[in-house]
Amino acid sequence: MELSDANLQTLTEYLKKTLDPDPAIRRPAEKFLESVEGSQNYPLLLLTLLEKSQENVIKVCASVTFKNYIKRNWRIVEDEPNKICELDRIAIKANIVPLMLSSPEQIQKQLSDAISIIGREDFPQKWPDLLTEMVNRFQSGDFHVINGVLRTAHSLFKRYRHEFKSNELWTEIKLVLDAFALPLTNLFKATIELCSTHANDASALKVLFSSLILIAKLFYSLNFQDLPEFFEDNMETWMTNFHSLLTLDNKLLQTDDEEEAGLLELLKSQICDNAALYAQKYDEEFQPYLPRFVTAIWNLLVTTGQEVKYDLLVSNAIQFLASVCERPHYKHLFEDQNTLTSICEKVIVPNMEFRAADEEAFEDNSEEYIRRDLEGSDIDTRRRAACDLVRGLCKFFEGPVTGIFSGYVNSMLQEYAKNPSVNWKHKDAAIYLVTSLASKAQTQKHGITQANELVNLTEFFVNHIQPDLKSATVNEFPVLKADGIKYIMIFRNQVPKEQLLVSIPLLINHLQAESIVVHTYAAHALERLFTMRGTNNATLITAAEMAPFVEVLLTNLFKALTLPGSSENEYIMKAIMRSFSLLQESIIPYIPSVITQLTQKLLAVSKNPSKPHFNHYMFESICLSIRITCKANPEAVGSFEEALFLVFTEILQNDVQEFIPYVFQVMSLLLEMHKNEIPSSYMALFPHLLQPVLWERTGNIPPLVRLLQAYLERGASTIASAAADKIPGLLGVFQKLIASKANDHQGFYLLNSIIEHMPPESVDQYRKQIFILLFQRLQNSKTTKFIKSFLVFINLYCVRYGALALQEIFDSIQPKMFGMVLEKIIIPEIQKVSGQVEKKICAVGITKILTECPPMMDTEYTKLWIPLLQALIGLFELPEDDTIPDEEHFIDIEDTPGYQTAFSQLAFAGKKEHDPVGQMVNNPRIHLAQSLHKLSTACPGRVLSMLSTSLNAEALQYLQGYLQAASVSLL
Amino acid sequence: VRKHGQHMKLFKNKGKDETTLRRQRVEVSIELRKAKKDEQILKRRNISIHVKEENPSLEKDRSYEIIQPSLEEIAEAVNGDDTEMQLSATQATRRLLSRHKDPPINQIIELGIIPRMVEFLGRADNVPLQFEAAWALTNIASGTSEQTRAVVDGGAISAFISLLSSPHMHISEQSVWALGNIAGDGPLYRDALIARDVIPPLLALVSPATPVGFLRNITWTLSNLCRNKNPCPPLDAVQKILPVLIFLLQHEDKEVVSDSCWAVSYLTDSCNDRIQVVVDTGILPRLVELMDSPDVNVVTPALRAVGNVVTGTDQQTQEAIDAGVLTVLPRLLRHMKPVIQKEAAWALSNIAAGPCQQIQQIITCGLLPPLVELLNKGDFKAQKEGVWVVANFTTGGTVDQVVELIRSGVLKPLLNLLLAKDSKTILTILETISKLFLAAEKLGETENLCLLVEELDGLEKIENLQNHENDMIYRAALDIIEKYFSGEEVIDLEPQTGQDGLYDFSVEKQDFNF
Repeated sequence: MELSDANLQTLTEYLKKTLDPDPAIRRPAEKFLESVEGSQNYPLLLLTLLEKSQENVIKVCASVTFKNYIKRNWRIVEDEPNKICELDRIAIKANIVPLMLSSPEQIQKQLSDAISIIGREDFPQKWPDLLTEMVNRFQSGDFHVINGVLRTAHSLFKRYRHEFKSNELWTEIKLVLDAFALPLTNLFKATIELCSTHANDASALKVLFSSLILIAKLFYSLNFQDLPEFFEDNMETWMTNFHSLLTLDNKLLQTDDEEEAGLLELLKSQICDNAALYAQKYDEEFQPYLPRFVTAIWNLLVTTGQEVKYDLLVSNAIQFLASVCERPHYKHLFEDQNTLTSICEKVIVPNMEFRAADEEAFEDNSEEYIRRDLEGSDIDTRRRAACDLVRGLCKFFEGPVTGIFSGYVNSMLQEYAKNPSVNWKHKDAAIYLVTSLASKAQTQKHGITQANELVNLTEFFVNHIQPDLKSATVNEFPVLKADGIKYIMIFRNQVPKEQLLVSIPLLINHLQAESIVVHTYAAHALERLFTMRGTNNATLITAAEMAPFVEVLLTNLFKALTLPGSSENEYIMKAIMRSFSLLQESIIPYIPSVITQLTQKLLAVSKNPSKPHFNHYMFESICLSIRITCKANPEAVGSFEEALFLVFTEILQNDVQEFIPYVFQVMSLLLEMHKNEIPSSYMALFPHLLQPVLWERTGNIPPLVRLLQAYLERGASTIASAAADKIPGLLGVFQKLIASKANDHQGFYLLNSIIEHMPPESVDQYRKQIFILLFQRLQNSKTTKFIKSFLVFINLYCVRYGALALQEIFDSIQPKMFGMVLEKIIIPEIQKVSGQVEKKICAVGITKILTECPPMMDTEYTKLWIPLLQALIGLFELPEDDTIPDEEHFIDIEDTPGYQTAFSQLAFAGKKEHDPVGQMVNNPRIHLAQSLHKLSTACPGRVLSMLSTSLNAEALQYLQGYLQAASVSLL
Repeated sequence: VRKHGQHMKLFKNKGKDETTLRRQRVEVSIELRKAKKDEQILKRRNISIHVKEENPSLEKDRSYEIIQPSLEEIAEAVNGDDTEMQLSATQATRRLLSRHKDPPINQIIELGIIPRMVEFLGRADNVPLQFEAAWALTNIASGTSEQTRAVVDGGAISAFISLLSSPHMHISEQSVWALGNIAGDGPLYRDALIARDVIPPLLALVSPATPVGFLRNITWTLSNLCRNKNPCPPLDAVQKILPVLIFLLQHEDKEVVSDSCWAVSYLTDSCNDRIQVVVDTGILPRLVELMDSPDVNVVTPALRAVGNVVTGTDQQTQEAIDAGVLTVLPRLLRHMKPVIQKEAAWALSNIAAGPCQQIQQIITCGLLPPLVELLNKGDFKAQKEGVWVVANFTTGGTVDQVVELIRSGVLKPLLNLLLAKDSKTILTILETISKLFLAAEKLGETENLCLLVEELDGLEKIENLQNHENDMIYRAALDIIEKYFSGEEVIDLEPQTGQDGLYDFSVEKQDFNF
């Protein structure tokens, strides 16, 4: 393409078309541009247009097209053609900087981006004069130009903040420092001077402050990797000026906007970052300046207002102080009593105050308020920062700080007492102060785990918290009520049990409060109290102690779900679940009403499920109702099915994806409750459960597998007789699962149930296929998890069908296959099997191979006999896995495995572990001894001679122990 | 569903990661920082007021200044035949070169009088002239490489070596100093000196009767003869010097001991064969003892020397352990000087790169609590090294040892350092976390570790790192999240859908060979 007017005209036309909303016009134009972008001069034509076009829209469009072109094509990839011709590259680099600087801001930004993309590839080697060109512009005095340079420099240098140290990188940085550091420093000084000359010119100041922000950002990038010699030598200049900028204020720069941070705040925030960088990384060199910054930053804090726009600055600044005051060698900066008092009084207390914005959130945006206040998503808030500072100060000055704050707390409480309805915020601050002072360590699970011993938490509780909660009017001073409930919640491990018991009816009462925050906190506090552990790991609060409150508790909890704003309140639902679990059979009288309410709720939310936690706890509560009731009265299962199946059908029919996994779990639970043959209502559903569409959703897989297992346990023979044509589909599901590394264990669960429960003749024709499939997976992508499951399966097969059948089927697939599996898989990997039941299955299976498989005694497999026995003894003598105790009651969503996965396992739908060899073999060691004895009787002398020649001494000793325990001997 | 076990096969106690092998003292070719302040000085100028000048009266002193000759006059006098004039001009030169600020070294060199000065060194008949010339040349040699070269090119090496045996102690002392400056220039001149046999006469000066001040100069020069790499000093020279260094290490003077330690630290900053030469002298217990000295100028080089030894073989490291290095390191990890903390942590990281028996000794000697403390609140440079300790420990330690490490509370500060403003440190921590998970899998403790990481606010930090600008960090973080906090992958045995709309159960047989 030539650089001709005609071409410019063509390009203009096509660019215009790319802006057309009609794809029929737009797409061909885009295609055309793509087809010509490989031609020489194309980028130069774009640059000409963005500079000279008469139409602004074409200028902008050309600049964006140019940037995207550079982004796609500039990088030269090895072994691929160079997509931009060398002459164009040179011309672009020669022109782009002045062009960028003379362009209006909109275009300048695009070109600046393009420069940094080019710079990433070419700078410094292939673009040696870029820096000089940029630095020369600093002299121009035109701050539009200077800001363009600074912005470009910032986008070129900001990668120094995240790249790894390397010789190449540091060579570049050194080069940049040599060319840039001094001019930047001079520009910094000059800009600051201009700020004072133009102190009365608002528009000039804005431009100058934009420059200062960019300069401060460049400082951060250039100082990130290590402290450069230049900046160490010029630390005085930079830090002195940064310091004075921190203290600077100018009315002209103040903004009216209450929310959005202005230039002044942005600059000061960046300076705080710069100081924090030096304090973290270059402490030794920065030490002389640090005290000044500490002072400046706390003065800044003292003088900064309560508006939201200052929040980030304030919390950054407080965090800076918090990180410094923890360090032993800066202790002295804070230890003076006056200093401490002034920090407490002027920095901490004001930032703990309940602001108008907080009050608004409390009333109108309760969810957000709760999330911040309760769940700690308050990282950037002032209160959190102030709280961190209290903790930091307490490291060295716990006594004095506690002393100072005690005075404050008392005076604030007195203020409150004088006129509660006006001064309630004082009490709020007092409670917050006590809380942050007393809590040294905290977890979601246990509340405060370490408390400040100088604060008498129980006394404060009795004198200042309980009275509020005892007040007859639950709707008065809602913020204080919420504070009080939160106090119980987080100090539950510090306050004695008798006080907690006193609080329980108060909390139940506050479930009725109108304020969402208050009744939510009440539900949450109850839920937390119910999960506390007492002696013997049982719950601290017992069902007996709760007996007087069962009815009112259940009534208030369900009523709270009808309060405005709380119809899907997860805290309340979780409290319902926890109450059921704690109260157990004492809820049975209320079940009819409870299950009606839960089903109605389920029906309502299934229209549009939006609160995952709420839904989860609702299903947990349903499971609990079923389990608790059916434990006492198994016949009741029918009435649950009656109540639930209607809703379940609707959920399945409407394909409510969020709920389907839950429905399967509840159905499994119900089906398992049946003692007899599978009801026909379930059988009708069976074919639908094999539909691929259900199995494509990962969240469905575990519950569906479990449900199919329940079908197989209860109805294998029915399936074999009435649904034999569905067996390939069932095995197809198994194949689908085994093909996934993530789900293969689920496939094995299913397969194990099929082998265990299906009548052998019904699966005869598929058996070989099953093994071929497993071997294929073993060969192509074996994982430890797969091997473990595989080992359990083949041993289960051996137990069910006999060792000879196992050997025969292996060897029918491929000659000597059985020996290969023994040698390469079973013997070396058997130690990996974990789980008591799994180990037992393997032990019994291997015992069968050793003692009931003739080819093991008289073919080439014989050489594997001793190694296999040795592996089995190894399996016995490995330390047992700790079995997981029954701690369901304490289970939490956060605790269940499967973080962030689609599947949400219901803890209370859990089933007992199933032991398929339980009845057959009690003690596998003794079983081995007895089986060996039997074998040795059949072929006297053989076993003993093999043992004495090749079994290692240690294993032999164990084996003798087993024989002794079984009171048998070998012949 | 969280995945179990499939990474176990990757976990081998012995299989060490390339990235966490012992790390030699890094040769930085590019440095952004100022030259290190804690290094020993390479070259020194003699600006002291010498004994001979303490006596002259004030007037006389002033008169000297008044009659300070011009550079031209100096050149003329030095090149002339008048001995008196030669002496006073040489003295004037030396004065110029000894003034505190901006000595005119280059101007003096440009006068072309160096060869003449070298000649004066041989004037045994005129001791004051010999002395003044030696001093002046010492100060010229203390400058840049260029300036040192001027002295060497003037033929000063042989002359100074001869003067080592001068009957006048102040002359031999000045020569020692000059030779130290020449040796300090780099391996080339250092080896030139060694080739001219500087070592025997130099060592001969060391005796119990040598005055401390003189001994300091000798020790410093010896240290420069041991200094520098590429190449390192000839082996036979090292073997000659070592016995004397061992003697000097016992001296009561702190400066002598300090410079002797520096010398040993240079000798050990080398390949394992050279480390072995030092270890064979049995010097380690003394060095370890000096690491515990109250004087930071002794601690610094002693720690460096021992730190270099533990970059060596497992056996060499074991010798350092047997000499007690692990009993001293806890105090050094808590030292008030950041650079000592850093060097101590570096040394520990190399011991942690050893076999699990040595890792066990780290545990037994109680190094974990100070390590955790350092990670918690040490200087950043030291924290970075501390992260390496954990990384190496995790790579080479047994599962039990790793459990012990976690029990010591290392996880909290480690996770906190994910906020560090240093990409490499972040990546090392992420890699370490992955290794911890491998160990946890082995114990069936994956879920507990997940919980712990979450409780310590680690999960939040790792999740945030998925937004990190650095690609490798982003990937490492993503990898952990995917493996341990979510995850799903599918392979190719997928069944087709059959005519009945259900999955088709079928597979083609292939040959199996496991």
